[in-house]
Amino acid sequence: MDKKKLRNDIILISSLLIAAVVALVVVLLTRVKTNLVAKVAVQNNVVLVIDLSNKNDQDFEIDGLKGKLHVHTHSGAIAVTSSNCPHQDCVKMGYVNTSNRPIICAYNAVTIFIESVTAGSDVVI
Amino acid sequence: MKFNKFLTLLTIPFISSCSINHGPAFYSRTIPYVFNAFVDILLYEGSNQNLDDLEDMMTSLDILTDNYKSRPKNNVYTINNSSDDVLVDSSLYDLIKKAKEVKNLGATYFNPLLGSLNKKWKEALEKSEVLDSEVINTELEKINNSSIELKENNYVYKSGEAEIDLGGIAKGYATDLAYDYLKKAGINKYMINTGRSSVLLGESNESDGYFRVNFEEYPNIKFRAKNCFISTSGNAVQGKEIGGVKYSHIINPITGSAINNYDCVVVLSNVGYLGDALSTSMMFNTIDEIKEIETNQKVKCIVIKDSQIQYINSWIEVI
Repeated sequence: MDKKKLRNDIILISSLLIAAVVALVVVLLTRVKTNLVAKVAVQNNVVLVIDLSNKNDQDFEIDGLKGKLHVHTHSGAIAVTSSNCPHQDCVKMGYVNTSNRPIICAYNAVTIFIESVTAGSDVVI
Repeated sequence: MKFNKFLTLLTIPFISSCSINHGPAFYSRTIPYVFNAFVDILLYEGSNQNLDDLEDMMTSLDILTDNYKSRPKNNVYTINNSSDDVLVDSSLYDLIKKAKEVKNLGATYFNPLLGSLNKKWKEALEKSEVLDSEVINTELEKINNSSIELKENNYVYKSGEAEIDLGGIAKGYATDLAYDYLKKAGINKYMINTGRSSVLLGESNESDGYFRVNFEEYPNIKFRAKNCFISTSGNAVQGKEIGGVKYSHIINPITGSAINNYDCVVVLSNVGYLGDALSTSMMFNTIDEIKEIETNQKVKCIVIKDSQIQYINSWIEVI
């Protein structure tokens, strides 16, 4: 009886493992590949697009409405490292790597928002 | 016990697959304000260095073909505003040469000397006005009395009062340069979209390598393509309707008119600059003329009028 129970357990666990492997393969083959880009806009005009899939550190100087902002990327995240704005809210936000946390410097009318780029096979003309 | 070991071994691939760094899934970049557009580059193979090289190529050609302002290098603006021979970069020299020759390849309504007339039409349409026929005739006279001379050692001389404008061919030429670069780099899977009017397609990541091509303005029209240049000319974006008549930024170099025969012409070709010039010129051709050019130049076309396909080459795979 015990042997039969053990055999059933083996069959059940093996079945679950096979199902998991199949599911993993399906997920890996069908997953949508995305890269992140940071778009820097001054007064709602995009002036710079930064590829965040480039993991090397990058530095940029942005001419804001009332002064310059220094932007730095590190390991796929972006931050305003210095700004001439009085409250320094944009600098205090630190590094951002998700699309739901835009960096805003109201004083300089600068917005940095992250978007994901999908490597699909659709082309728009 | 043996079964437990078997289970442990099975978990190893799951744990290790989580920690392997596969690198970027692809390489993409958007270059703002090149050729008055956003240029999208997508490489499924290659490296960030390839993106850097392609960006340099695009921005360099944008500077050289600018006819609106002086740039760090001698460009089209320099030639237009000089009464002497101008020494230019070899790629600009080559592009001007092609712009002069493309008329003999079927682009009968393409003229690189339309710069001044184009600007005057643009200014008028921005004010929702139709350009005065007297102004048009004066500009056409300037065009007919002007010429571009290509001299030895990359010197260019423009005679007459007309201005050079390479807007109808520059993006296509840029994709030609990109194609040559990608071929040398051994990159086969890519897409470069220079603001929708000139697209270079290699192969996609799909198993058959095809891209699905969609129209922004005509969502019901879609087709499949790969390994080709797609050039599009149309009046949807820069056109303006005045008094029930649609006026375009694409000007007929013979009559000076800004009224096109169609809403949009798409050319699939093996040469970017040729497709670019042909799509512009075909806005004034008849369908029979377009079919004849297709045969002679080995290109495939789609012609759209009133948001409907008026003609499509039977080899284009509509989806």
